[in-house]
Order: sequence, then structure tokens, then C-alpha cells
Amino acid sequence: MTDPATEAVPTRRAPRGGVHPQPSVERTDLRLTDISLDEVVELVRFEMPDDQIEPLLERGVLPGCRLCPVRRSPSGDPIVEVDGVMLALRRETAGCICVKRFAAAAD
Amino acid sequence: MSGTTASGVATPPRPPSGTRPVVALVGPPNSGKTTLFNQLTGLRQKVANYPGVTVEKHVGGLATPAGDIEIVDLPGVNGFSTRTLDEKVTRDVLEGRIEGLRAPDALVLTVDCTRLEPQLMLVEPVLELGIPTLLVLTMADELTSRQGELDDARLAERLGVEVTRANARSGEGLDAVRTFLEHVAHRGPMPERPCPVISNVPQGMALPVVDAFAERRRIVREAGEHARYRRPQPDADTRRIDSVVLHRFWGPLVFLAVVILVFQAIFTWAVPFMDGVEAAIAVSGGWIASVLPDIWLRDLLVDGVWAGVGSVIVFLPQILILFLFIGILEDSGYMARAAVIADRSMYRVGLQGRAFLPLLSAYACAIPAILAARTVEDERDRMATIFVAPFMTCSARLPVYALLIAAFIPERPLLGPVLGTRAATLLGLYALGALAAVLTAFVLKRTLLRGKPSSFLMELPPYRLPTPKSLFLRLWDRTGVFLKRAGTIILGVTVVLWFLTQVPRGIDGGPPPLEQSALGQAGQVVEPVIAPLGYDWKIGVGLISSLAAREVIVGTLGTIYGVEDAGEDSPGLQERLRQDLDLGSAVGLLIFFVFALQCMSTVAVMRRETAGWKWPALQFGYMLGLAWLGAWAANALL
Ligand SMILES: Nc1nc2c(ncn2[C@@H]2O[C@H](COP(=O)(O)OP(=O)(O)OP(=O)(O)O)[C@@H](O)[C@H]2O)c(=O)[nH]1
Ligand SMILES: [Mg+2]
Repeated sequence: MTDPATEAVPTRRAPRGGVHPQPSVERTDLRLTDISLDEVVELVRFEMPDDQIEPLLERGVLPGCRLCPVRRSPSGDPIVEVDGVMLALRRETAGCICVKRFAAAAD
Repeated sequence: MSGTTASGVATPPRPPSGTRPVVALVGPPNSGKTTLFNQLTGLRQKVANYPGVTVEKHVGGLATPAGDIEIVDLPGVNGFSTRTLDEKVTRDVLEGRIEGLRAPDALVLTVDCTRLEPQLMLVEPVLELGIPTLLVLTMADELTSRQGELDDARLAERLGVEVTRANARSGEGLDAVRTFLEHVAHRGPMPERPCPVISNVPQGMALPVVDAFAERRRIVREAGEHARYRRPQPDADTRRIDSVVLHRFWGPLVFLAVVILVFQAIFTWAVPFMDGVEAAIAVSGGWIASVLPDIWLRDLLVDGVWAGVGSVIVFLPQILILFLFIGILEDSGYMARAAVIADRSMYRVGLQGRAFLPLLSAYACAIPAILAARTVEDERDRMATIFVAPFMTCSARLPVYALLIAAFIPERPLLGPVLGTRAATLLGLYALGALAAVLTAFVLKRTLLRGKPSSFLMELPPYRLPTPKSLFLRLWDRTGVFLKRAGTIILGVTVVLWFLTQVPRGIDGGPPPLEQSALGQAGQVVEPVIAPLGYDWKIGVGLISSLAAREVIVGTLGTIYGVEDAGEDSPGLQERLRQDLDLGSAVGLLIFFVFALQCMSTVAVMRRETAGWKWPALQFGYMLGLAWLGAWAANALL
């Protein structure tokens, strides 16, 4: 099993719909898959098809909310804590979630 | 619990709608709706600690001092986007689009207050329906024990809705819910009003969707702040258990250990109980034989019913042990973790981890599993899931496996005392079924049901200690289902078969030799088809009668051998099987039962869930073909 935490993940599975192919000004290349365990980050935007975003939105996982990868499953997929809920995702999904570190933590 | 799920399928006949007020239970998955429903109605719908347990509406009555009302339990939803079939059920009930069920006059919205904010995302869309609503905060016991805080009154004030705490698990705090229901009953059914139409979040465009949800989330945030919500500490036990169960190395090992434990327990723990049941049947059969005069009724009871039904009932202890383990795994919260562990393999197959839960529940029975697949988002994924679900070893196969294994596999330790040859054989049969399921799904997803891989999202609930009461009730209900089957299907088939062994009467008026009875002659018609598998006509009759239900073959063989040995000292079913089958054909018979779709109820449910005969016909033919080939190969090779 190859390690998922590389930037190759999102490009390999090219997102459709709701995508910004050209790098925009606010573009961050930091993905949820790049974040080490127990670090808290802020969700910036989704780069995946709408129908995959909606289940996340319904659970209150939106740009601006805090995410914290708390664990990896035996196959290396992230389990993320959001608002007190433990959510298991696939790394393909996590690779399409752009995040940023909080200013204090980034230093 | 197939019995309870089945009752949701065929909703029992009810008086015409409109006579009694209807209250619907809505809320996110795993928030405690069904627990509350069971407390209020006294019914026993399935409760378990993972999201997506309820997939069909269930109606129950409640008598209040102000009159009777109907309560409807619904599948959990996070919103009204209806991506899955179970979410559609909820939406249809809320919009009053179900025939024979009026649109709800009031709602009870359950919200797990240990995850208040995500769960409150549903409040706004529910209140928008314009139906009187009571918000019930569940799991308040966990909120308190994990140092969380919430001011209910301020939450009510902010949301503009009545709020109460209730713990349906222990029965505390239900008075406020009952009072609310009494008010609803008092008001009576509301006059005809326009259907509440659920406003859809705009589809397609990315930004407006996000905005609508962002607005909803802002409201939720403010409500939480206003109610001075303090989020509970993460559950320490859950963390600790997960660090083992979801560990890279220990996780899969724990999974395997659990599985081995279950199989070993089925063979070792059950033995004393089975001996007890067997002795009871033998004694009672002997007693009947001694008190009844020598007439045909005695033969029917002793050689037909007692030998037939009795040989199936012996397996009740093994089935209960299986269900005890399933109960512990489901109630504790382990199932959701199992789905996470399996997701990567499911992804390779082409399914999503979500589909793993229905497949696991198929170990009890394929029928609730096929219904549970409604929670699978992608329609093609759902089809693939329900197509392969009957390959998973249901509990009706257990008597067949157990009988043949006990008759043909000598018990020897394999892994020291941990795993014996019999448990290992059983494990192998379960694995063979699972392998067939996986390979079939793999092929289907690349041919008939091709589609892009779907995503996977699983909320992991905290571990909860299964209550002895809920485990006991599971076993109790299971015993009821099992005995009911024994008393209806198996008894019916046994009686019919016994009569077929008694005609045509010989010249002396006595029963014919078995081969020349109606049953024997019918059996010889099918013999050419099964001869290559190494079976005689008796097994053939067993295979055909087991189309009614798999375990019927055990009863059938019990009856046939019972008639054959009538009056003599019967050497027992296992011994008789050893006379008629060699190892190759016995293993072939096991393999036949691993693959074949010997269950007409499954076919009927498939037809309903796929709205047509195409899929069930394909499934039946495919599985039968595989079964025949597998049995033939085993017979030829061994
Ligand atoms: N501690 C605690 N546990 C509860 C309470 N209410 C329900 N539970 C447990 O929560 C879990 C889920 O309960 P269910 O009633 O199946 O939830 P549901 O809302 O019907 O779930 P779905 O059918 O999947 O939508 C079970 O393990 C219950 O035993 C409560 O008030 N306190
Ligand atoms: Mg439920």
C-alpha cells in the first residue's frame, strides 16, 4: 500500500464540476491528507464533484470549520474530528479538501 | 432480526388513514429515534449503535388519556436531499405521499446532544415544514458524564421550539414526550392541509449550495452559543478502544480473532445445549410413541414431525450463539469500525464501505440485508450489493453446515485449543461465500453495473456497552422467529412430505416401500440432474424442499430417514447421511448450499426492491449454476 499523503492524490483523480483549474490567488496546495495527526486546521474549500460535497455540507463540514485528523484506519484512510463527530473518509476524498493552518500554528 | 424488519415490509393492516393523529419521529441517523419509538409503543424494532439501522417506516400505536395516536419511526436523515432510498422513505412520509398514512400532524425531532452542532443542521429544514415539533435531546447522560453542558431552555428560546431531554434507553424523562403526544391526541387529526413541500437546496451550482448550508450552520452556531453549549470531552474509552481496533497491525488481527472466536463458540459452547435439546426431543418423541395407539397419526407425529422438525430445532443453540455475537458487535459500535476497516477492500472491488454493513447483516439473514442496502447511495452500487448479499452465509444455512460438518469432519485441534477442524471448516464455508460475493461484485461493477467509484463517509459513534436487556430481547425475538419457522414452513413441508411417503397404498393397505411412494417416484425424476453430483433421490428431494427455506433440507432428511427406519432403532441422522454420501459428495453438498439461492423469500424481496423479475431471475440462475458446478467439482475431485 503506497502512502497517500502526497500531492499526487488530487491530480490523479481529476475533480469534475465546481473546480477551479487555474491556480487562483487564494490557492493553497495544502490538503487534508498532508496534515499530521492531532493538528487542527481550517477547511478552505472542496475540489470534488458536488454530489460528493453535499453529504459533508449536511453534517456541517463547510469552509471555515475546524478539522482535526485524529487517527488513520489500518488502510491509511483518515478519521477526522469535526465539531465533536468522528468522520471516516477515504484518502481520495480527503485529498480533495483544501485546508489551511491557523496563523499561530503555521509559525 | 429479520422478523422485525419483515414486519416493516408488509405493514400490518391498519384502519383507514385520517382517523388518528400521526406523529413522525425524525432525526439524524443513530440519534435514538427507534429506541424512543420502542419505549413509546412497546414494539421491538431493531436498534443498534451505527448509523443507518432503520431503512423503512414502522408504524405503532400509542394510547394516551386524550385518545389514540399513531407513531411512525423513520430512517435517519441528515437533510432532505434524498440521495438514498431510505432517505426517500422519510421524505415521502413527511410529505404525506404514502398511501394509507396521513401526513404527520406533529413531529418529534431527536437530536444527539453530544454532537449538537452537526445534528442541529437538520432543525431548520424540519421546522420549515411548518408542523408542530418537539425537539428531544437524546444521549444527555453521555453529555453530562463527559462534562458537556447545555441550557435547554435557552436553546428552546433561540430555536422557537419546545425542547426536552429524554433517555429512551433507560426510560428517564419520557413524561414530557408523552405530554406532548397527549396534546397532539387532544387536538385530534388536523384538518386537511396542503402537503408540506420540502424546499430543496438548489442543485448543481457549487456556490449557492455552500451558501445555503453556511447560513444554516451560522444559525446553529449562534443557537449553540446562546444555549451556552459546551461540547463534551471526547470519550476516553472510545479513544482507547479505537487505538487498538483501528490500529494498522492490531486492527485486522482483532477482526480475525473476533471471527475465529465466534466460529469456535458456535461449535463448542453450543454442544451441551444441543445435547439437551436433542435429549428432550428424543424423550418426548418416545413418550408420544408410547402413549398413542398404533395408528397413522402416531407415525406422522413420531416419524414425520418429531424426526423432521426436531432435527432442525436442535440447531437453535448454535443460531442463538451467532446472534449473541452479532448483537454484541452491533450494539457496541464495532460495526461502524468494521466498515472502515473493510472500505479499502470494498473500494478495490468497486463498492463503497457503506455497502459492507448490509453485507455483514446478511450473516443473519439476506432479507434485512437487501433492505439495508437502501442506505447505499449509488443505485448501481446498491444493485451490486443486493445481488451478492445472498452469498453471505445466513443463519438458515447454519443447521445444514453444522449437520454435515458434524457428520463428515472429525474434530481435531488445528491451532492448539483455539481452533478445531470443524470450526475451521465452518470458517472456510463462510469465507467461500464471502469470496463469491466479492468476486461477483467485482465482475458486476465492471460489466452490467459499470460506474465511477463512489465516495465513503462514515460517522463513528462512541462505543456503548450493550445492555443485557437488549441482548436478551434480541435472542428472545430470534428464538421466536426460529420456532415460528419451524412451526410453519418446516412443519408444513414435513407433513406434506410424510404423506407423500405414505401413498400410493399397497395391496395390503399399508404404506408402500419408500422408493415406490409418491415422494420416491418424484425424487427419481430429478435424480438424473443431481446424479453427477453424487446424490441419490433423497438428497434431491431435500434440495427441492429447501427452496422453501434452506434449513428445511434437514427436516426433510429427518422425515425421509425417519420413515425409512420406522419402527427400527434409528441410527441417527448423521449416521444415515454417512451411509448415503461419501466425503466428496458431502463437501459438494456443503458447497451447493454456500452458493445456491435456496430461499424463495429472498427472491420475493429482490423482486420488490428491484421492481421487476430481471434481477432476481438472473441472481437465482447464476447462483444455482455456480452451486451445481461447485458441487460437481467437489464430487469429481475428492
Ligand atoms: N447513552 C444513551 N444511548 C442511547 C440513548 N438513546 C439511544 N441510545 C443508543 O443509541 C444507539 C442508536 O439508537 P437507535 O434508536 O438505533 O437510533 P436511530 O436514530 O433509530 O438510528 P437509525 O435507525 O440508524 O437512524 C443505540 O445503541 C441506543 O442504545 C440515550 O438516551 N442515551
Ligand atoms: Mg432507527
